[in-house]
Amino acid sequence: MILGLGFSELIELILKVLIFPGVAFPLLFAMIVIWFERKFLARIHLRIGPLHVGPLNRTGLMQPIADFIKLIQKEIIVPDNAHKFLYNLAPIIAALVSAMSVAFIPYALKPDGGYWMIYYTPLSLLAILAIFTARPFIMVGAGWASNSKYCTIGALRAALQLLAYEVPIALSLASIVIMSGTFDLAKIVEAQSSIWFIILQPIGFIVILIAMMAELSRRPFDIPFAEQEVVFGWPTEYTGAQFALVMVSEYFDLCAATSLITVLFLGGWSGPAIPLLNDISPMLSGIFWFLFKMAILTVIIIMGRGIYPRLRIDQLLDAGWTVLIPLAIIQILITLLTVQWWLPLIGGG
Amino acid sequence: MSVMKLSMGPQHPITGHFRFILDVDGDVVLKLEPDIGYTHRGIEKLAEKRTYLQNLPVIERTNSYCDSAGTMLGYLEVIEEIMSLEVPERAKYLRVIAAELNRIASHLYFLCLASVATGLETMLMWPINDRELILDLLERLSGQRITYTYPTIGGVRFDMPDGFKEEALKRLDYLEKRLEDYYKMLAWNHTFQIRTKNVGILKPSDAIKLGIVGPNLRASGVKVDVRKDESYEVYDRFDFLIPIGKNGDSYDRMEMRLKEIEQSIHILRQALKDIPKGPIKTWAPPIVPKGEAYSRVEAARGEFGYYLIGDGTMKPYRLKMSPPSFRNLIALPHLCRNVPLADVPIIYISLDLIPMDVDR
Repeated sequence: MILGLGFSELIELILKVLIFPGVAFPLLFAMIVIWFERKFLARIHLRIGPLHVGPLNRTGLMQPIADFIKLIQKEIIVPDNAHKFLYNLAPIIAALVSAMSVAFIPYALKPDGGYWMIYYTPLSLLAILAIFTARPFIMVGAGWASNSKYCTIGALRAALQLLAYEVPIALSLASIVIMSGTFDLAKIVEAQSSIWFIILQPIGFIVILIAMMAELSRRPFDIPFAEQEVVFGWPTEYTGAQFALVMVSEYFDLCAATSLITVLFLGGWSGPAIPLLNDISPMLSGIFWFLFKMAILTVIIIMGRGIYPRLRIDQLLDAGWTVLIPLAIIQILITLLTVQWWLPLIGGG
Repeated sequence: MSVMKLSMGPQHPITGHFRFILDVDGDVVLKLEPDIGYTHRGIEKLAEKRTYLQNLPVIERTNSYCDSAGTMLGYLEVIEEIMSLEVPERAKYLRVIAAELNRIASHLYFLCLASVATGLETMLMWPINDRELILDLLERLSGQRITYTYPTIGGVRFDMPDGFKEEALKRLDYLEKRLEDYYKMLAWNHTFQIRTKNVGILKPSDAIKLGIVGPNLRASGVKVDVRKDESYEVYDRFDFLIPIGKNGDSYDRMEMRLKEIEQSIHILRQALKDIPKGPIKTWAPPIVPKGEAYSRVEAARGEFGYYLIGDGTMKPYRLKMSPPSFRNLIALPHLCRNVPLADVPIIYISLDLIPMDVDR
């Protein structure tokens, strides 16, 4: 008995923390998505993309790992007039905080009726929202600590961008909570057993997808990183391993965000049983569906980089406040009516 | 909030070999001061120390990676005017072909930069890919892709190779089809439009007062094109339009290049069809007689002026160049007053300034 857990429980906890959905999963997700993004964008650009690194010929599968190894070998340069402590701390905190949100997301239903998640709390939705909101403060801190003009401008842009996406995200989460009556992500998935929320709340889904793209600073909204304007935004001064941490933390966020949308709108792990996986364990089938839905969302989010120019910060704020927030409020009204009149009729809710 | 001095460039993803000294208040640029000279090579002085023929590759490098034929034609025009040299018909057509091909290549390069300035990488890759087709054609014509020194005093250096005409027409057809994709991806892209429309509006009166030339002036709605107004080579024989813009904003300046590519394709088709047979070069004496002349040509970026004083030797006494980028540069501080920082790259790129062209 360690930590008050039995042996099998301990094994399960280690599996969860270290492999799925813990440490290994976001790292693997980051690696695969970085590779996929480069290949996919290369196709859009009529290029080939990474080609030579890795076991399979002409796929460049190991390119992200090669890049990572290259980055950690490089010298870490700290600017002379930077706030050294905060400057060195920020990338680590950014990566940790980004990876943390994965702990609150239920990835599958265990055969014994529990949920496959690292830390169960009935308020997991609030916990994730809190973690997401913490990110811009790390950016602002890092930008300020760098003591560089471009970093400062990029950090201020990140802080401004928060105003555009945070309220729409919170509002569309509100309509989910109204419909499911709980802050518990696992219960939210169970509420979708008959019908997914994307069908009941299509507007909310679109709002949260766009707001998440802004949250993740993906292409039409990558204003804090705008290369042509502020070089690389708040992480401009970071080099080597610190830069690698910053980049990886972005993909951890992508992992958490797609997981969250999958749980909220796409029914989490629910889906028809996959024959082969189901024979081993029904849980694996659930995990497959979860990852499949995550992959679709990831492709949609990545595609923005191939087809959209970047918006200006005032245009993003304009879109956030005049389009996304009204849409989210309309969604809440529709949800209230649905919960009041329609769901009792079909026996759901 | 206090005003912050921001030094943009020369180590910056968008500026090239430039430095802009910006006065930034929050996110608003109050004043922009261009700091030029990073690629100054003293070409005007260098030209005085070399013979007229030796000068050709040097002059070409004023604007080497974009528009070498357009740059050189003015220099040749001014020499041939002092020498009163009659260039063979076929050479004139070949010069026009090279110049128009290079105009297309230059405008495709511009489209890349325009999309990069707004953060759309796809349109960076597409035109730069198709630009290779044009450069490949130029290589067939002259042996080099970019700095080919194809036109020379009294004509051109090589004749058109066999099969060039068919290949060129095929590639122009492809490019015309491809332009539709460019319109869809860039000019008709809603995000691109809201990003560039009403940004950096250059009024026609201001443009004329500032002495803006070329596509930037035409985008402001002033119908000026040296090819039509003061025809040189054989441009008067071709039927083409001068596209003009409506608002003179960054969007118009970017769309202007797409329209000009269409017209260049049109000119090239006529030139390839009408090209007469005959010699490609007349003999030109190495010594230019005493005299002075001014010539102007429509290079890809606008009007390129040359003023040459010959003193009866093999070397020019004085060569003064007035490159289009330098003349358009004055619009940048004019337009970048009280604009958001995010619009500075767009305004800068939309003027199509090449640092090498500015510095000479």
